[in-house]
Amino acid sequence: MTDAVPLMQLKNVRKTFGTQIIALRGVDLTITRGRVHGLLGANGAGKSTLIKILSGAYAATGGSVIWKGTEVHWTSPKQANDMGVATIHQHIPLVPTLSVIENVFMGATGFWRVNADMRSSFVSLCDRVGYHLQADTLVADLSIGARQMVAIFQALATGADLIVMDEPTASLAADEREIVYATVRKLSRAENKAILFVSHFLDEIIALTDEVTVLRDGAAVFRAETAGLDEDKIAEAIVGKEIVALEKATLERSRHVAAGADDTPVLQIKNLASPGSLAPITLDLRRGEVLGVAGLLGSGRSELLHAIFGADRHASGEVLLNGKRLKTSTKASVSAGMALVPEDRFGQGLVPDFEIWRNTSLTALESVSRFGFLLDQKKEIERGEEAIRRLAIKAPDCQSIVSDLSGGNAQKVTIAKWLFSDVKVFLLDEPTAGIDIGAKTEILQLVRRLAEEGKSVIIVSSEFEELMAACDRIIVMRDGRKVAERAAHDTNEHELLLLAGGKDSTNPQQTPQGQTIGA
Amino acid sequence: MASIDQTPKATVGSKPAGKARVDWRRTFGLREMGVYYALVLLVVSLAFLTAYLGKANYISVQNLTNVLYQTSLTAMMAAAMTVILVTGNFDLSVASVAALSAAVMVGTVESLGILPAFGAAMGVAILCGLLNGSIVMFLGINAFIVTLGTLTAIRGLVLIYTDGRSLQVSDLETVAALKAFEGYTFDVGLPMFVGGLAMLVLAAVSFGKHLQILPRHIGLVLGGVALAGLSWSNGLTFPLRMPVVITAVFVGIVWFVLTFTTVGRRVYAVGGNPEAARLSGVNVLAYRLGAFVLCSATAGFAGILFGARLRSMTPTALSGMELTVIASAILGGTSLFGGAGSVIKTVAGALLLFSLTNGFNILNLGANYQGLIEGIVVVAAAAIYTVGNGKAKSKTS
Repeated sequence: MTDAVPLMQLKNVRKTFGTQIIALRGVDLTITRGRVHGLLGANGAGKSTLIKILSGAYAATGGSVIWKGTEVHWTSPKQANDMGVATIHQHIPLVPTLSVIENVFMGATGFWRVNADMRSSFVSLCDRVGYHLQADTLVADLSIGARQMVAIFQALATGADLIVMDEPTASLAADEREIVYATVRKLSRAENKAILFVSHFLDEIIALTDEVTVLRDGAAVFRAETAGLDEDKIAEAIVGKEIVALEKATLERSRHVAAGADDTPVLQIKNLASPGSLAPITLDLRRGEVLGVAGLLGSGRSELLHAIFGADRHASGEVLLNGKRLKTSTKASVSAGMALVPEDRFGQGLVPDFEIWRNTSLTALESVSRFGFLLDQKKEIERGEEAIRRLAIKAPDCQSIVSDLSGGNAQKVTIAKWLFSDVKVFLLDEPTAGIDIGAKTEILQLVRRLAEEGKSVIIVSSEFEELMAACDRIIVMRDGRKVAERAAHDTNEHELLLLAGGKDSTNPQQTPQGQTIGA
Repeated sequence: MASIDQTPKATVGSKPAGKARVDWRRTFGLREMGVYYALVLLVVSLAFLTAYLGKANYISVQNLTNVLYQTSLTAMMAAAMTVILVTGNFDLSVASVAALSAAVMVGTVESLGILPAFGAAMGVAILCGLLNGSIVMFLGINAFIVTLGTLTAIRGLVLIYTDGRSLQVSDLETVAALKAFEGYTFDVGLPMFVGGLAMLVLAAVSFGKHLQILPRHIGLVLGGVALAGLSWSNGLTFPLRMPVVITAVFVGIVWFVLTFTTVGRRVYAVGGNPEAARLSGVNVLAYRLGAFVLCSATAGFAGILFGARLRSMTPTALSGMELTVIASAILGGTSLFGGAGSVIKTVAGALLLFSLTNGFNILNLGANYQGLIEGIVVVAAAAIYTVGNGKAKSKTS
């Protein structure tokens, strides 16, 4: 049934934002009917940008998009949708207060909210897919898995030929994933649709797709039929080989480690858990130690940091700092000497309308004030200037409003907030996400410096090469629980990727260390 | 980039105590200073109009102090409202709380005596604030909805307490004591003159230190000239009544706390980004709850002054005042989304509203047009703030 003409072809597609940021540097991609095409890549590799170009949300800066043999220039998602491209986004944009059927036929024209035609086509949709939903249930009452199915129905109802799925299983439980897999197979085999399947989970990519494209740094670096591939090969393609600089740092450090290390546990975590997101976890952190938390989105890694920091009111278990138990309150944690650099820097880390100096002093206001309450603006500004100097923040001066800063510089400010008080434990949540390689390296170097000064650090990251470079010890999380623990010099990115992506996580010890399996 | 702020970057690093970067266009733009411009424009045009039409002189001391007196209670409540708005919350119930407090004070003053009656009224008001704040913070219901409810419910309490009738203080001694308290007049002519001169001196000293004209120099000079000039032209007398003085002191304290203390910084941080504030170790709950209590307590005190002024209380008194209070804060540029606002500008907003009313009365323009004009002024102000903001954003991106 495969047509001679590919359904969609991308030729040398490029996308830049402004003059600085290059998201895609010439990607070729061919999508054929009746096949499932897997798209992989680390965070920031350009997957989202590529999907947005496919679905008409962005226009490509260069190159051509060829749809059913003719070149097209979509300027809105609606146009792409009308031509037959449906996209299911990672965060399912459904209207929770409307019923299933109203959501499925959201784009329908006509006067009535629901008419008989819709009902009959809804029933036939259910039959086609083999999954039955109550048409009049409110979407708000559905499980996440069922909502995902509503989103798939929505895509099918538009009669699309190409269905783009952006991490459709990231937030689903195992049984719900099976339903999505079955649907995807059915759509491609029986209905002859083309499917572009984006995922971080290597096992499902192997099981589900017919061919694979891997993006790295905005370029397609790997393309192959899935048959004959294994998870290791894909992991290798995702990680890439150009990690020399950071790897070198690891090696250099391993000589240092013994000197700075200290066996006193600074932070002790006992059975820390949070209902629904974190299974009980027990951890010790030594003085001057850098602990990495490897895990994918939704693995409970941010929840762990928030629970440690006392920011999760529902958390149970104990957190001890220097042997003293901490109350579950951010105020208590901060005054005891904990620091959290949250994942969403503008949403959680900074007050966007404040200047740099107002942000850098917020965590330790008492130390820049007279009598403990009267702010000394001069001191505050000096502190802001020092932050700029120490972290090489690119800003005219510390009077700049932080919402005007770029991602990397804003991130440095969120870290700088904590450098002026006696912090003992730093919790860094994705400190390098979405920032350029230069700033990344600077931040990782800062982490090492902090460790050498005797501070303890926990870093969460999706980019395992960074964990390898900066950490002494790494734990791997999946589905809200710790699935493995490794010394940084005893593991490699392949292994971490396999563990985090769900390679027999119940029995991690059997994975031969540093070796590829069946390669 | 505005061509004005050309201070080279290099000097910032090399000379720590060197020249500050001042964005004049922003500092003196409509968004930052609009409410002052509007107030000055209004006062000046009213002065000219009254002179031209041969009416009573608008900027006579008598009329000015009168406007201040009329504005005082609203201004006091609006200053507290600004604090709660800055923390990202909202309180619609202030007028009802003020009415309840006034009713309690008038109802108990004869049996309890003045100070205990004041205490009882304040206690009731603070309880109202705790109630509002607890419902909003602990149950997580939107402040708008909660205080819309308590607006009605507390007014209902007033009706229950007064049994729907007017209350009156009839004991002559008590009446005289209340009159003496509320009507006490301070002659601030000399302090105003001295203060005005002090501001000028301060401006000169600060200028000598920085060798650069800063926005605060201009503010100090203008304020100093206005204060000293006003007092001088009236022969160094300027009588202010008790509510005006209390309001001035209260606003001064709130301004000081918000501007110069750690508490103030945290209030702005809580409103600017509650999650970031929480993760920086700020007790967001306490700050937000505290703002509710402050707002209701201030309303309660305004209620006491109101009751002392009239020595009687009708159950519907002060109805609708919450809207004037909120309008003052909006005129002063306070954001309804939290994180931004200034009590001084809020007071200017309140003065603007009451100067309008006062001007209408003096010019005999008829009360029918008053609501329309006031409404237009509020919407126009909001438009200036929003549009000004949008422009600022698009410029930087």
